[in-house]
Amino acid sequence: MGARGHQASWGGATTSHRGHDDGKPAAPGPAADPGTGEQAEDEPDVRFTLANERTFLAWNRTALALVVAGLGIVQLLPPFPGVPWGRHVLGVPLIVLGAAVSVTAYREWRRNQTALRRSEPMPQSVLPRILVLTITGVAALSAVVLLVSAVR
Amino acid sequence: MALPEDPEDLAPGTAAERTRLAWERTAIAFGAVGLAMLRGEPVAGLLVLVVTPLIWALGRYVSSTAPPQARSRRLLLVTVAVTGVAALAVVAAFIGHGLTRFR
Repeated sequence: MGARGHQASWGGATTSHRGHDDGKPAAPGPAADPGTGEQAEDEPDVRFTLANERTFLAWNRTALALVVAGLGIVQLLPPFPGVPWGRHVLGVPLIVLGAAVSVTAYREWRRNQTALRRSEPMPQSVLPRILVLTITGVAALSAVVLLVSAVR
Repeated sequence: MALPEDPEDLAPGTAAERTRLAWERTAIAFGAVGLAMLRGEPVAGLLVLVVTPLIWALGRYVSSTAPPQARSRRLLLVTVAVTGVAALAVVAAFIGHGLTRFR
């Protein structure tokens, strides 16, 4: 019964899409196959699918913003006096992080979609942690570059 | 008339509309990145600008009945495009002909 809310088609969604509110959010699919260990999979309510897709798109816009920020640092900033590699050290990690965020967002989208099909609880995203760690790192690196530039 | 538990039930089509808007925002983001790159790296900028209408077109085909494989391929295309933009940006950062060169 746990998957009941996820099976609704678009037309039936108005009455049966609240899969996570019916008190059995973590229940396995109704026809879990004991022989293979595979869980029954059903296409989730299209609203869940669309919400998952919007999350993926939002992360990709974040990824694009990181890429353009990194490129802007490298190409638009004047060079740091005494630190010729400074712009690249700050900008290139942001660009690489942008690519990593996009690839991770796709992997998480697939994982979330599978969880929805199996009526499993949504897995936790690692993306916020990746973002926080990298932005903190780049901020610290900026401070180092500025200090080195000031000392030289 | 009593309100339904979920306001979405008043107009079930809004989820699809929100998703189409999200695709359009993503296409606009691609366009903005392309324009930003155009100044320093005209070739890379044009490449990104060419991708922009493709992303827009992908968003037009948001359909609640799209088969899962088609959906998956479409999103994979977005990831490939963003990764490609990042690769272009790295190349531009190291061998670019930007206004301010690596010194």
